[in-house]
Amino acid sequence: MSVTQVKRIAISDSPWPWLLPLVSLLVVFTIYPLIYNIWLSFHEFVPRKRALVFVGFANWVQLWHDTRFWGALGVTFVYFTIALVCEIVLGMAVALLLDAELPGFGALRAVLSMTLVIPPAIAGMMFLLMEDPQFGVLTYFLNMLGLLDKATPILATSSLALAGVLVAEIWQWTPFMVLIFMAGLRSLPPEPYEAAMIDGASSLQMFRRLTLPMMSRVIAVAVLLRGIDLFRVFDYVFVMTSGGPGTSTYSLSLYAWQQTFSFLKWGYGATLSLVSLAIVMILANLFIRAFKVRW
Amino acid sequence: MPQSKSMRIFRTLAGWLVVAFFFFPIFFWTSVAFRDAKDIFSWPPKFFEFEPTVRNFEQVFGISLGFGFGTQETVNPGGGNFYMAPRLWDSIVVASMSTVLAIMVATLAAYCLSRMQFRGRHEFVNWVLSTRMMPPVAVAIPMFFIFKQLNLLDTYLGLILVHGLMNLPLAVLLLKSFFDDIPAEIDESALLDGASRWTIFKRIVLPMAKGGIAASAVLCFIFSWTEFLFALTLTQTGIKTVPVVSSTFVTSIGTAWGNMAALGAAAIVPAFIVVLLVQRHLVRGLTMGSLKQ
Repeated sequence: MSVTQVKRIAISDSPWPWLLPLVSLLVVFTIYPLIYNIWLSFHEFVPRKRALVFVGFANWVQLWHDTRFWGALGVTFVYFTIALVCEIVLGMAVALLLDAELPGFGALRAVLSMTLVIPPAIAGMMFLLMEDPQFGVLTYFLNMLGLLDKATPILATSSLALAGVLVAEIWQWTPFMVLIFMAGLRSLPPEPYEAAMIDGASSLQMFRRLTLPMMSRVIAVAVLLRGIDLFRVFDYVFVMTSGGPGTSTYSLSLYAWQQTFSFLKWGYGATLSLVSLAIVMILANLFIRAFKVRW
Repeated sequence: MPQSKSMRIFRTLAGWLVVAFFFFPIFFWTSVAFRDAKDIFSWPPKFFEFEPTVRNFEQVFGISLGFGFGTQETVNPGGGNFYMAPRLWDSIVVASMSTVLAIMVATLAAYCLSRMQFRGRHEFVNWVLSTRMMPPVAVAIPMFFIFKQLNLLDTYLGLILVHGLMNLPLAVLLLKSFFDDIPAEIDESALLDGASRWTIFKRIVLPMAKGGIAASAVLCFIFSWTEFLFALTLTQTGIKTVPVVSSTFVTSIGTAWGNMAALGAAAIVPAFIVVLLVQRHLVRGLTMGSLKQ
């Protein structure tokens, strides 16, 4: 193609010259890996032969009978639900509290955004230190309040480990919700509130009848974006518990990663990651449709 | 809404208390970065009453700050010294180059999606959004094998590509929302004057959207800076980003908490300063442009 021809295409109103770099990169990044993953899920690495061997549906059958997979799915859903509910409720409460022009509140909002630039892996490591049974500061506070026996290591007790991880998650991402909800609250029109005040509505009534319905789009966007991230939780569990004790904090992403890179079950790991992908896609699309989220 | 004076005071105090609660871990970790082992491993934990030292920073970055205190020799639990300065450099290279990649590709696409009408535009936006939903592990596993064949494992180029691609949906949707804010009439009158789309894009839209492009770049940078799974999977020894390094401080002999905290503090401060610069656009970025402020 000559230079003038290229130029003519570039100045025409066809969208393709503009979208081509994006499309080609996304194809490389999403479609090709997806096909590769599907191909991989029908194979398995055999260390003795040092090669991938076609195994048909064996990985998919194994998945069905694998109690650790179902366990990991359960852990992921529990983690997802608890974190999402806590982050929304806490986030909304803090946003309502800080949604006022009071001394220092501008600085407080800036402090809240600090948590968002900390790599989750580092936050996880730091909470690991704070939850240490011998010298952790969180352990110390819980002891002082009489909520925890000094001898109990939070992250090594199967009934507490997930809660220990969730503390880091909720600490880091509640401010995300606060900032989003605060932006939403600021964009609300004042007129309905003025009318409600004249009618003598209580603040609880105003919250339920006015704020919540008008905020529904903002809440839906926050739930969608956070939900996608929560379902693929990896960083916190990887650095804080590595899935343990036992399998009490195994998330689906961690299980898929370990099968592939620790146990060299390449095909099975790919199968697990495909299942994880399918679940996120289905849930997110159902949510987008149900709540009419648009970009 | 008008509030009574006591209510205002109560609300101010409650607000400060809540934020102090969220700030406490950051304060505590930063203080750990300035402690010797004996002040880290103490029960009850110390909050203020420790001897400050900069040794953790000196060890992590392999430099001497020469402040005089903290001169006695100690050995890290893992043995030997950590020289993290090159690792910090790895993070800076990967995050900035992947940002350049994402922003360059995304501005073109975002301008098109903001201004041109074509069939399937809405579906195309949804497709871009859906790529953001891919769990990193579902991409990292095939990418590991593809990179292995292409000799891209453990290279800057490989990680830059993956981080840049990871940030594309964010950058496209966010930039589209910034371009949507610029009235399309400007483009149309320029088109009538005979300017090409490319000229309009270069001469009018890009300069007008400078602030928005800067904000998008900062967010891409932060997401690459904090990313863990791809960096862990696609690099081995040649490149280590800051989050990956942090996870290696746990050794069978013990954990180098002081060094860990020093690295953490050093990683947070620059990222936070950058975020403060774009705070006005932060929410918009976090929601990929779906909320405006």
